[in-house]
Amino acid sequence: MGLSRTTILFIVSSGLSLILGVLRIPNIAHGSLYMIGAFMAFTISKVFGGGDTGFWLALVGAPLGVALVSLIAERGLFQYLYEREHLMLLLLTFAVSLIFGDLVKIVWGAEYKSVPVPQVFQGFVNLFGGLPFPLYNLFLLIIGPIVAVALWLIVNKTKIGKISRAATVDREMVGAVGINVSWVFAIVFVIGCLLAGLGGALVAPTVSVTLGMDHTLIIEAFLIVIIGGLGNIWGALLGALIFGLTQSLGILIWSQFGIVFPYAAVIVVLLFRPTGLLKSTW
Amino acid sequence: MKKSKWFSIFLVGLFGLFFMCPTSNAANTIKVGIVDTYTGPPSAYTLDVLDGFKMAVEKINAKGGVLGKKIEYTTRDEKFKPDIGLAMAKELVLKEKVDILMGTINSATALAVSDFAKKEKIPFFVTYSKSDKIVGEKGHRYVFNMNENTMMAGRAAGYVLGKKPYTKYWIAGDDYEYGHAIANNVWENIQKFNPKAIILGQTWWKVGEADFTPYITQILAAKPDFIIVATGGGSMVNFQKAAKATGLSQKIPFYQHTANELGTLLPQGKDAPEGVYGTANYLFYLPDTPANKAFAEEFKKSYNRYPKASALVGYMTAQFIAEGFKKAGKINNEALIKALEGLKLDSPVGPLSIRACDHQLELPTYFGVTKKDPKYDFLVSGDTQIISSKDYMPTCKEILQTRKK
Repeated sequence: MGLSRTTILFIVSSGLSLILGVLRIPNIAHGSLYMIGAFMAFTISKVFGGGDTGFWLALVGAPLGVALVSLIAERGLFQYLYEREHLMLLLLTFAVSLIFGDLVKIVWGAEYKSVPVPQVFQGFVNLFGGLPFPLYNLFLLIIGPIVAVALWLIVNKTKIGKISRAATVDREMVGAVGINVSWVFAIVFVIGCLLAGLGGALVAPTVSVTLGMDHTLIIEAFLIVIIGGLGNIWGALLGALIFGLTQSLGILIWSQFGIVFPYAAVIVVLLFRPTGLLKSTW
Repeated sequence: MKKSKWFSIFLVGLFGLFFMCPTSNAANTIKVGIVDTYTGPPSAYTLDVLDGFKMAVEKINAKGGVLGKKIEYTTRDEKFKPDIGLAMAKELVLKEKVDILMGTINSATALAVSDFAKKEKIPFFVTYSKSDKIVGEKGHRYVFNMNENTMMAGRAAGYVLGKKPYTKYWIAGDDYEYGHAIANNVWENIQKFNPKAIILGQTWWKVGEADFTPYITQILAAKPDFIIVATGGGSMVNFQKAAKATGLSQKIPFYQHTANELGTLLPQGKDAPEGVYGTANYLFYLPDTPANKAFAEEFKKSYNRYPKASALVGYMTAQFIAEGFKKAGKINNEALIKALEGLKLDSPVGPLSIRACDHQLELPTYFGVTKKDPKYDFLVSGDTQIISSKDYMPTCKEILQTRKK
């Protein structure tokens, strides 16, 4: 049941993981980009009348808009910071997340926003035992694997993916063979942020789009990346599955303490596999 | 090197001078210091408090002020943090020398500031935090509550729900003090009117929960007659969206405090679920009186949006401060408090008064069910029943007993 939330968590944390793995930036502002994606989806969907066309355009337009924002942020700020210490990067990206948060408030205001669920996905299907399952969540379940496979193809089959993987192992060597590492990093950063924007656009119809939606998500996304193995995309998928499923199973089994289960799972994983479940690229 | 040293000493000296200067012509104004959260999700409500207050103050000042003095206000953003909020309240009183404190949507901040206001003997008007401790258990001479509290909201809902034929209840909500307080008060009052009612089970999720589907699945499986949903803030909308997506809103009726209020319904447009029971303490379209219409229209003209319940709270707070001083006949805090006790003023929703025993504003409650209305592009409260404050407010005796504990 928690699979739909898992999809969102996976999409966002795979982007985070990519950036962590290749650029080694613990990007706290990733959550803000997810929030910006949701707000952009709201605007695009509203401009096109709030109907189905609006939704599909938002699904394409919002991630691209976020990609543009992240490109500006990367070229204007992050590219100068790759050599800094982690603590410094953590503080810097935290500062950026605060700036993004205030920018969102200036642009969109403080009101709660809502994106309508497209006509096609309204309603629900009855699963085993007559339990309702919203159609939109079903759609999310289809999107998740598509994103996973696409990302795997990009990382493993394209030139840019191969270069970026090489850069995670030894970035000086990559530069030494005459590749413009700076732009490779920029592209990877933008792809990672695009995923955050996609997550935001996808989640928008299921929740209220509000300031502060970045905070809850970024913590969960970091936990997922950590239990999955830093920089490992399949790890992000596995981590998101563990996180989402322990939560919904927890609710079914022992509802009062449902929220404890995913965090307990994180602790168990870290006790026995301190570097995460799958091989970390670090 | 030496030059720059002298320069920095000069700068420090300059700053020192700047801070030593007296801040303003304090004698000719009544200064109100407002501490509230203006960042993050709570600002959806707090900005309405501020704008409602502003609107009233501008009107009062245009008419010559209060006893020849203009009302002046300063705001501070506590960012939903009680320690920061308290420090700001202290700064406002000790440095800015405000006469009156006002604000905050955060109950913890309100209680901390209230304690400070009591020590400093500064009247403190609580604008949008809903803890019943503010004028209940922790109430005192200097604190006033200008909006409904969890006990009032819960009892008003229980007053109506207890007379409905449901028996098997489920309780669900945000796992924090507000959620539990609302749920407990609704439930206690339902039991009073309907002794046959039982609780089938309870579900509490963390504040800010994004995916309600697994919880709804669990509740549906238990087949209750009615669900008391104690959510607040952003969860109001999130739960309603999930209730619509899973079909819950068509299968089992449920209640949320403020479900029929503008803050919850406006963001969802036409897509909000119909048939959700809710209580609100202000609706801009109800009662359909000239006074209410004029207030809503003026607010919309000034700020380009319909007023939420919090706008009325801000508006009436300014009115009570002004009229309180006028009744007292002098600018004096002790006289103001005495004048406010039992003071009844005309408001957009009819006469409202501050109860003398606990300083709680006696607001009516609007119990209704969400429904579509061709006049607006969002859902409104339908079949609305006005519950008078005397039907649900805790009695003075009850309040004074909690204070003794």
